[in-house]
Amino acid sequence: MTTALTSTFSNLFDPVRLFGPIFDKELRVSSRRRRNYALRSVYLALLTVFVVVVWLQQVQYVSSSGLYTSSRLAAAGKVIVVTIVWFQFCVTQVVAVIMLSTAIGEEIYLRTLGVLMTTPITSFQIVMGKLFSKLLQLILLLAISLPLLAIVRVFGGVPWDYIISSLCITLTTVIFYGSLSLFFSIFSRRAYVVIILTGLVLALLFGLLLFLYMLIFSVFPWWGRQADASITIVFHLNPYMMLALNTDVMLNPGLAGSVSSSWPVHCFIMLAASSLVLSASVLLIRKIALAQAVGFPNILRRLLNPPRAVSAKSAVSSETEGNIRRVKGPPVVWKELKSKASSRERLIVAIIIGLELALIVAMYLFPVVDDIFGYPKAYMLYICIFMGLGLLTVAIFSATSITSEKEARTCPLLLVTTLSGWQILIGKFVGVVRRSLFVWLLLLIYIGLFWLFDVGVGLFAMVQMAIIAAGSVVFLCGTGFYFGSRFRRTSGAVITSFILMVLVWGIIPFLVILLKDTFQLGRYFFILDDLKEYSLNIVPFVQAMRAMDGNPSLYESSRFITSYVLLGLFFAWRAEHHLRRNIF
Amino acid sequence: MIETKNLTKNYGTLTAVDDLNLTIKDGDIFGFIGPNGAGKTTTMRILVTLLEPTRGGAFINGLDVSKHGKKVRRLVGYMPDFMGVYDDLKVFEYLEFFAAAFGIERKKRKSIVEGVLELTDLESKKSATVDSLSRGMQQRLGLARVLIHDPKVLILDEPASGLDPRARIEMRELLRELKRMGKTIMISSHILSELEEICDHVGIIEHGRLVFSGTMEEIRPRLGIESKVRVRVADHQDKAIELLSALPQVRQVQALGNEIAVTFHEGKEANGIVARTLVHADLDIISIQPERLKLDDAFLQLTKGIVH
Repeated sequence: MTTALTSTFSNLFDPVRLFGPIFDKELRVSSRRRRNYALRSVYLALLTVFVVVVWLQQVQYVSSSGLYTSSRLAAAGKVIVVTIVWFQFCVTQVVAVIMLSTAIGEEIYLRTLGVLMTTPITSFQIVMGKLFSKLLQLILLLAISLPLLAIVRVFGGVPWDYIISSLCITLTTVIFYGSLSLFFSIFSRRAYVVIILTGLVLALLFGLLLFLYMLIFSVFPWWGRQADASITIVFHLNPYMMLALNTDVMLNPGLAGSVSSSWPVHCFIMLAASSLVLSASVLLIRKIALAQAVGFPNILRRLLNPPRAVSAKSAVSSETEGNIRRVKGPPVVWKELKSKASSRERLIVAIIIGLELALIVAMYLFPVVDDIFGYPKAYMLYICIFMGLGLLTVAIFSATSITSEKEARTCPLLLVTTLSGWQILIGKFVGVVRRSLFVWLLLLIYIGLFWLFDVGVGLFAMVQMAIIAAGSVVFLCGTGFYFGSRFRRTSGAVITSFILMVLVWGIIPFLVILLKDTFQLGRYFFILDDLKEYSLNIVPFVQAMRAMDGNPSLYESSRFITSYVLLGLFFAWRAEHHLRRNIF
Repeated sequence: MIETKNLTKNYGTLTAVDDLNLTIKDGDIFGFIGPNGAGKTTTMRILVTLLEPTRGGAFINGLDVSKHGKKVRRLVGYMPDFMGVYDDLKVFEYLEFFAAAFGIERKKRKSIVEGVLELTDLESKKSATVDSLSRGMQQRLGLARVLIHDPKVLILDEPASGLDPRARIEMRELLRELKRMGKTIMISSHILSELEEICDHVGIIEHGRLVFSGTMEEIRPRLGIESKVRVRVADHQDKAIELLSALPQVRQVQALGNEIAVTFHEGKEANGIVARTLVHADLDIISIQPERLKLDDAFLQLTKGIVH
């Protein structure tokens, strides 16, 4: 009786039975992928670096006094626990979005989704199998740091409550982010498109809504009466706010009860939102699979290129007439300049331009933004955002220019001609500049307007901005071409380009600043100070802010552009070297 | 014109092409046959400079493909097994783009493009976008692209795959026309009967090794396959069987319904003996049909490891 009951119970909760063979298959495949082991190693390495830097920062003032030392160590324990919790929270959500960005798209690309539809596997099993197989890996990442968390917790006197609530917030956030990424992967087989769409939706949900809340709160003072209720809603809906509050309460126990929010309610809301997104995925997936099976283009493409009714007469004329454009100059340059932007490219440009216009409108129509940030600061922030979007566009287009030829199988056709590798790359470079020109022009117009109406920015600063942008574009084109020549798939090349950008312009300067702050008085101070200066100088946003801040330096700009152009050319040279080596 | 010497290509531990020695003469159509994964496409990709050999050499017109890539590319036209297209270009623009890519002067391009469009019967489609063409048309366009720089050597990887019977016949006619123009053509295909009709020589490859290379006539003795004829007589089939069985050249006679299958001893001359014997015996012959060794049969026998 007991055996039968146990067997029924275990069958009921057996993930392989519940989620079908997809779950089983995904686990098998993931265990064979080297990149999963690499991911765990990188995760652990980064976590260790962060913990060590924070630890050094905390214990540098330890004195001979036992009482003081123990109090410092307790504080250090708390800070390290918080570091680990926030590290887990931030990294796992990024990994979740990336991991699930190909969940359904890959099945569509490999044309296996239609095949799956001919088996008894249900849409629910496909969605859940994909989601939970990836989630298991993320849980593994969270579990890796648990022993460290448990040990440090004891020294810091951090309550279990905080650890458990933070883990729950992290896990439910990861489930929601993963579900959203999986949902978008139904519409596009390109991982980077899915990542960008997911990022935008999350920015809207957790950034713009918060921004609007602040806006309404400032514009309508009577709202203040409702502030308590509304802030509770914001905390319950926003995982960043929830974790921040949770951390604040742990670090300052006196705050407990000041805001009536409850993390279980937040987790429940996130799970409910995930369920909604997953239900939509389950409903959609069968339709998309059947559409794929009969050869319909994907939904995004249909939205961007709606089928037009073509009469028999016009169909004939489109074949026999039409303007033929003659090839002038270098053929690849001609093709890149004349070819129409693909639906994917138009989507990216439309999203970016829309975002920039929305930001400009928000800034100039709501003077309250000036009050929040202060006008020059808001202006700088916008310059950085616009520049970031421009650089993002260049990174995407340069990384896709070679891999898209590989995916379309036109690469061998191009390579068996007498064109040299450099002729092809120069053509591609022109294409990237042409495609991303819209985004840069918007930035230029924005700066130009500021220059016209404000005396704060000189012409020289604008020239310096152009130099900074040009250097960064050459660098990103070089690296994009290089990754394009090494990878077979567009997604791999684009994601690697993103990672490089974040690493060089984000993580490395951040770590160097942390290290420099740690060794304020040590003998390494001067070395670290120089290193900090170098690591900041290579960040185009920092350069741009310095230029706009009224401290333009021709020497700095020349150094910046020379280094980046040289680096870009080096990567382009490596790309040329690999162009004929990894075609198929 | 095309030569490989101990050509070897390894992908990690997998040997895709193993010590391949091949010679294709000027103006020949060479059929390259082998099962999937035999190494046909890899060999072709090495010949057109898309892959580097691990060992050995490949030569086009005496030029080493690894050392003289640019010169070789000028001599060779390559059509891959799956042709990618730039879907936003029109047929004329597509061909002119590749003409420019091969460094053809601008003023000559128009006439050259129109020439290959005429040859491939694509003139009516010159303003159509490439992606609107049918599969057959796209294959023809692929062939037009290959011809744009007037190469001496054409390397065509399964040019007839996915085509309907009419398009296949048209493609075959086009290849014959190209042979008449003096092109050296290396063609791989799974539709073996088609190669049989157009190829001067065939090469059969398995596991990266060439198991046979020669003319169709050379395959039979190499395989030790007996000659066969099928005979139909108006009446007295039993008498005919008796007479034919008595011939010293004949190894076996079998009645197959209305027909008689006559198998000769290996290497024995069979021409005319059957007809002479039956006529002398006053038997009325309806038909005598020699059984030709089909390329499919040779392929099956050779790739089963019968020849060592």
